[in-house]
Amino acid sequence: MLRYTIRRLLGAIPLLLGVAVLSFIFMQLAPGGPDALFARNGRMSQEQLQAIRHNMGLDRPWPEQLLNWILHLLRGDLGISYSQYRPVSEVIGDVVPNTFLLMGTGMVISLIAALVFGIVAARNPGGFFDNFASFTSYFGLAMPVFWFGLMLQLLFAVNLGWLPSAGMHSPQGGGFGDLLKHLALPAFTIAIGSIAGWSRYVRSSTIEVMGQDYVRTGRAKGMTERKVLLGHVLPNALIPFVTVVGIDVPLYLTGAVLVETVFSWPGMGRLFYDALNVRDYPVLMGILMLGAVLIVLGNLIADVLYGVLDPRISYS
Amino acid sequence: MVDPTPRPDPYADKAPDLESVNGLIQARIDGVINRRTLLRRAAAIGIAAPVVGVMLHATSDMVYGAPSQGGDQALSRLAQGNGTVPADAPTAPQGQPKTGGTLTAGTYSEPDTLQPYVTQTVTAGDVLTGVMDCLLQYDSHEQFVPALATAYTISDDGLTYTFQLRDGVKFHNGDTFSGDDVIATWKIIMNPDFGAFNQNGWDKISDIKVDGKDLVITTSEVYAPFMSYVAAGGAWISPKSAIDKGIDSFKQEFGRAPIGTGPFKFVEWKAKEQIVVEKFADYWGEAAKLDQIIYRIVPDENTLLVQLQTGEIQLIGSATTISATRLDEALGFENITILEHSTQSWDHIDLKQWDHLRMTKVRQALDFATPSADIIDKLFKGRALPSVADQSPGSWAFDDTIQPRPYDLEKAKSLLAEAGLTPGADGTLEGPVPTNDPNVGDGEVKPLEIELWYVSGNTDTERVSQVVAQSWNSIGVKTTVLNQDISTIWGPEGYQFTKKMTGSLWSWVNGNDPTDTFYWNSTQIPKTPTGSGGNLPAYFFQYSFQKQIDDLTTAGDATTDQDERKKIYSQIQQLLHEEVPVIFIWWEKAFPAAAKNIGGFWPSPFNDLLWNANTWYLT
Repeated sequence: MLRYTIRRLLGAIPLLLGVAVLSFIFMQLAPGGPDALFARNGRMSQEQLQAIRHNMGLDRPWPEQLLNWILHLLRGDLGISYSQYRPVSEVIGDVVPNTFLLMGTGMVISLIAALVFGIVAARNPGGFFDNFASFTSYFGLAMPVFWFGLMLQLLFAVNLGWLPSAGMHSPQGGGFGDLLKHLALPAFTIAIGSIAGWSRYVRSSTIEVMGQDYVRTGRAKGMTERKVLLGHVLPNALIPFVTVVGIDVPLYLTGAVLVETVFSWPGMGRLFYDALNVRDYPVLMGILMLGAVLIVLGNLIADVLYGVLDPRISYS
Repeated sequence: MVDPTPRPDPYADKAPDLESVNGLIQARIDGVINRRTLLRRAAAIGIAAPVVGVMLHATSDMVYGAPSQGGDQALSRLAQGNGTVPADAPTAPQGQPKTGGTLTAGTYSEPDTLQPYVTQTVTAGDVLTGVMDCLLQYDSHEQFVPALATAYTISDDGLTYTFQLRDGVKFHNGDTFSGDDVIATWKIIMNPDFGAFNQNGWDKISDIKVDGKDLVITTSEVYAPFMSYVAAGGAWISPKSAIDKGIDSFKQEFGRAPIGTGPFKFVEWKAKEQIVVEKFADYWGEAAKLDQIIYRIVPDENTLLVQLQTGEIQLIGSATTISATRLDEALGFENITILEHSTQSWDHIDLKQWDHLRMTKVRQALDFATPSADIIDKLFKGRALPSVADQSPGSWAFDDTIQPRPYDLEKAKSLLAEAGLTPGADGTLEGPVPTNDPNVGDGEVKPLEIELWYVSGNTDTERVSQVVAQSWNSIGVKTTVLNQDISTIWGPEGYQFTKKMTGSLWSWVNGNDPTDTFYWNSTQIPKTPTGSGGNLPAYFFQYSFQKQIDDLTTAGDATTDQDERKKIYSQIQQLLHEEVPVIFIWWEKAFPAAAKNIGGFWPSPFNDLLWNANTWYLT
């Protein structure tokens, strides 16, 4: 298992390099550039513009820029942001923990809700709870984030006044309780989309496993329904589900853009969007690389868990 | 010696009393209300006609200057139902002003950096106005008031500026302000390795020296916008000690924690969350009444409106205002006052000098075929001002004699016919394009097909583009509406550099000086698609009136006498209206908002948000 993990990690290095090169090329191919706005926005002379391009290294051919970027990356240096004039590691480092907190909380909520909804619905397919769960989860899936988020704000912040409408901390700061209050609405909003998909997944794979011979055997030899469900059905039903969750991790990252905007959450999605608008290449590259690393890790963790959950799979 | 000291505002912290005869007379004398308002108000409170006659007489010769435009502000404030309040005076809520307290303001966009000479965001300026000072600053009437300089003189030849520097000014880091800080600021702005974004004015300085208490600046040529660029309007003075720490430090560290001489000192900046400034006890002027201002970053307008409603955000202004199309919703919030003022943003359709669009008659026809009045009245519900040229209706350089072209499709059609355009097989107009003389169609016969661009994501310009395209199409001008993201559209692959007829709907934002060389002068035509300069429509072909506008814009920059300049800019506005190099459609209005217990807030098109924040208070 350990050797397998190490092998996978080493294998990821060329993959990540490939991602870096491709991202860089795509970014260069996209029209416009970091200096497009400078030329129109500031009342800037040609000489100034040239000086700024030179300072940013934009006056050199892009293969040279890419090579420079990779050489710096190998030394752990992600460069200086074109728009914020400070190291990219700082720019991203400021917001990454916030996004992880939001994503993590959202995923935990989704997981719990999906498991509960899925299993309860599967025990009586077509029953009232199944229909109810399927209706609510599709409702959740169909809601655009910006609308659903706004409705939550109007209900909980404006009408009931229980929760702050947006932000991560109160203006004057506050402790853990303050953070939880701010976290509630955006985490729920980000969770709602995957609750729908995931709970349907858990439901169908649970129904499938429930029809297996060994489940009937278990019941026939007098096992309690609880034991059948938790001891035999669930572990088998969860195996494919783990893969789905692993693949969905990057979806959480992309979904974060809207949720973070609606709830003024100081996260990476907003940073990426802002950086994209002004073509802040170093920041974009940094976030893309971080995203690639997360996808590789997400898949790796899913595969490792696969082996843990299913003794038939071994990675020797 | 020009004394830029403003007369004291008697209504800085109280609303005028308009309920009594004496109060009305006083308000008229102080210039807060105009004659008509006085009459109306007097009638409203039931003062008999003969008495009104006496009141008018009593005040007729005593008004100091003209009342500010729309001086009904005081009335609106008293009688506010659910409308906006013209921002002609500081807000003055009922109740006793409190000392201290925290105010939470909101902004859509986070500043890129608080480094004053490289930032490209208006929001950075909004914060910096409270933290740093210029030599002078603009007030809400576009007049200079003293800041780090107490007074100034300009030599008769217009080349030498002498600023009397204020004594005993402290920077937030304890340094004492002196002329050396100004000199260091000039040097860093002009240093090519630093890469400042705006050297305008600073690049005209040939010599700068400290002479006792005076700072003497000599310029290489007479440059009228000099004062607006170097003495005020974003020319914040940094402490020499911070500049001396080197370019990297001055960009990175100073950009995240600026040090100035302003009434508020920078405290913290939490990325994408908030910027906090607090009262600076050793400020040279009137000390701040508030203890703290927190500037929260709220990127979404829906969320911002929710937060204004819950009171989580108490004030917005300058870079962040309520859009005209969302105003009705916000007017329903009982806890906030929505103010209103003109802006320096003119929304227009630029027309590339290519093929038929080089012909004056074709551009005039398109202007006749653009339903500008309907756009303003129906789309923006009247919450915008008509535009005929490039000077803001709030500016002294504005020529109010020019009338916008009416919406007249018949007139448009006949002008197009005069330009040699006739309907082709599919109804699209076609005709010979000009070759040498831009106003003579003597070349290849081509259809009149125009791409109309807007920046994606901007719902206002999207809707206007659709309306305009529909109208143009109806008279046989084949118009296609297209959009791109902001970095693409202004980049070298953008529409300006394609060999097609194009228009694009967007806005320029004027500075406080009326100089418009940047928009029209031939020196401002980019040399290549990656080049700089604002005169983009003339990239392929210069305007037929290029020589004329070059001379006028150059004269405008080289003339310092305001009356003379006004005449020059009048001519420019008339020329622009006649030639229609771009279709001027509307001037944006701004709608800042403040909680009803905030006093002293006085937003205007000429200042950044915190310009007078030291006088803000809560009740």
